[in-house]
Amino acid sequence: MTPAVIIALVLLAALGLPLFVVLGAGGLYATHRMELDPVVLIVELNRLASSPNLTAIPMFTFAGVALAAGGAPQRLIRLFNALFGWLPGGLAAVALTACAFFTAFSGASGVTILALGGLLYPMLSCQGYRERFCLGLLTSSGSLGLLFPPSLAILLYGIVAGVNIDELFLAGIVPGTLLLVMLLLYSMFMGCKCTVPRQAFSVPELARAVRAGVWDILLPVGIVVGIFGGYVTVNEAAACTAAYVLLLECLIFRNINLPHQLPLLLRDTSLLVGSILIILAAAMGLTNLLIDAQVPMQLLAWVKTHVDSPLEFLLLLNLFLLIVGAMMDIFSAIVVITPLLLPLAAQFGIHPVHLGIIMLANLEIGYSTPPVGINLFIASQRFGKPILLLFRAALPFLAIMLVWLLIVTYNPGLSLWWQEG
Amino acid sequence: MTEALQRLRRLLVGFETGMAGLSLLLLILLTLGQIIARNFFDTGLPAADSLTRHLVLYVTFFGAALAADGDRHIKIDVVCAWLASPWRSRLFRPLQALGALICLLLFQAALRFWRDEWQYAADHERWQVLLNLIIPVGFGLLCLHFLLGLLLGERRTEPRL
Repeated sequence: MTPAVIIALVLLAALGLPLFVVLGAGGLYATHRMELDPVVLIVELNRLASSPNLTAIPMFTFAGVALAAGGAPQRLIRLFNALFGWLPGGLAAVALTACAFFTAFSGASGVTILALGGLLYPMLSCQGYRERFCLGLLTSSGSLGLLFPPSLAILLYGIVAGVNIDELFLAGIVPGTLLLVMLLLYSMFMGCKCTVPRQAFSVPELARAVRAGVWDILLPVGIVVGIFGGYVTVNEAAACTAAYVLLLECLIFRNINLPHQLPLLLRDTSLLVGSILIILAAAMGLTNLLIDAQVPMQLLAWVKTHVDSPLEFLLLLNLFLLIVGAMMDIFSAIVVITPLLLPLAAQFGIHPVHLGIIMLANLEIGYSTPPVGINLFIASQRFGKPILLLFRAALPFLAIMLVWLLIVTYNPGLSLWWQEG
Repeated sequence: MTEALQRLRRLLVGFETGMAGLSLLLLILLTLGQIIARNFFDTGLPAADSLTRHLVLYVTFFGAALAADGDRHIKIDVVCAWLASPWRSRLFRPLQALGALICLLLFQAALRFWRDEWQYAADHERWQVLLNLIIPVGFGLLCLHFLLGLLLGERRTEPRL
């Protein structure tokens, strides 16, 4: 591809042409330049029909959409409030934990801020937290939980990179928990600083909250035990999750009226899945052509002449991914960038699972950074605040996340602990 | 003219909503059926694996068509996000035209791919090739939505279920 065409495509993307169209145009142009039949793009696309783990994505997405439409956000807040509300900064801890839990299911598509932010913002404000703290917390928490199973981002990375998804699910648990703990400590510190009143711990309320929320809490437990206990595959876990959520919301809580709401839930899920997977479909042809044209090898040769050590490479990788995260949506970034980074990382001895965690950690930060951090836009819509104010509010949280990123990047053991022994 | 186009749009959206929902539901039910068949009857549903993998393509393409109708595809739009509203509106039709053109070219390629597949498929594989029809149909639907967007402009009414 000539630089002029690349610049034109980037410009069109920046102007708002859907990304799958940009990738399709790139693929068509590449086939024309290489004097190939554009049918090769479709041949590559058709390979999606033989990808074994792809079927998990629509089913986990359906579970997330159904949970959001049912009363899961309210139940989770009540449960975590009963558990952590008595701690200093307790309500902030509730917000962080509930957001992390919910994002793992909703796929960080902005649903977390929409579903939980509206409930938590007035609660946090009423308890005496500073407005800037509340906004920063809720904005940056919209992508918290991306590393926990059954995150869509993890599934997509596993499919694109050809990495075992079970291993990726395991790899994300420690880094994800570490981030949650770091943010919890900061929230507790702020709770003390703002002298926020603490609520009394109530055993009867905890019992009531557990009774209502235990079904939701069983979901991730069931998925982890099911997959790692060898009882079900990732796809089967996804189908069971979808069926479980539907039964839960329709029969136990009766928050979803099946005849009326099921078509809407199916439609919303298909729309979300369609807008993500069509990018993968359009990118498959283009990335294969780029590999045929030895682009990753050329990139590797360039990197080898300029970068000497894995440490230097990881630092550059972080910088690059932070910029990508600030410019691109996470799903697009995974689809487009992963095939280019895999050979580079392999050259410097970085495990593909560790690379996945580094990628997702960077992109998680990108969610709350301008110019196109989706959390900023959604929070701006939800709370009616300017984007720059939200970005400033999220800065302390982003600083903590950057420290966490460095810890995760330079300690592969945090992602690869499951390999030991 | 506009009314006829709107009617066509509503028909398409209704069809796509039904097909996407049906495919997703079938995907979940087939996977659950496989689990039950394997664990309780020590067998598997014939061709279920192949069918479920194709159903993902159905959900993807019909879902993508719905996203095109609602202008809800994932975009990078770094520049567009910071543009004033009138400028964004002016960009809408040219971008829809470009989307239609690219999808038309991909539709042609997909159609040729499908014809070749059909021609060279063994008899027992024909049903799988039939399932592959979703690729040209999907790109065709996407092209139609971009064309409708071009003709109807940015202010389209919300789809009715």
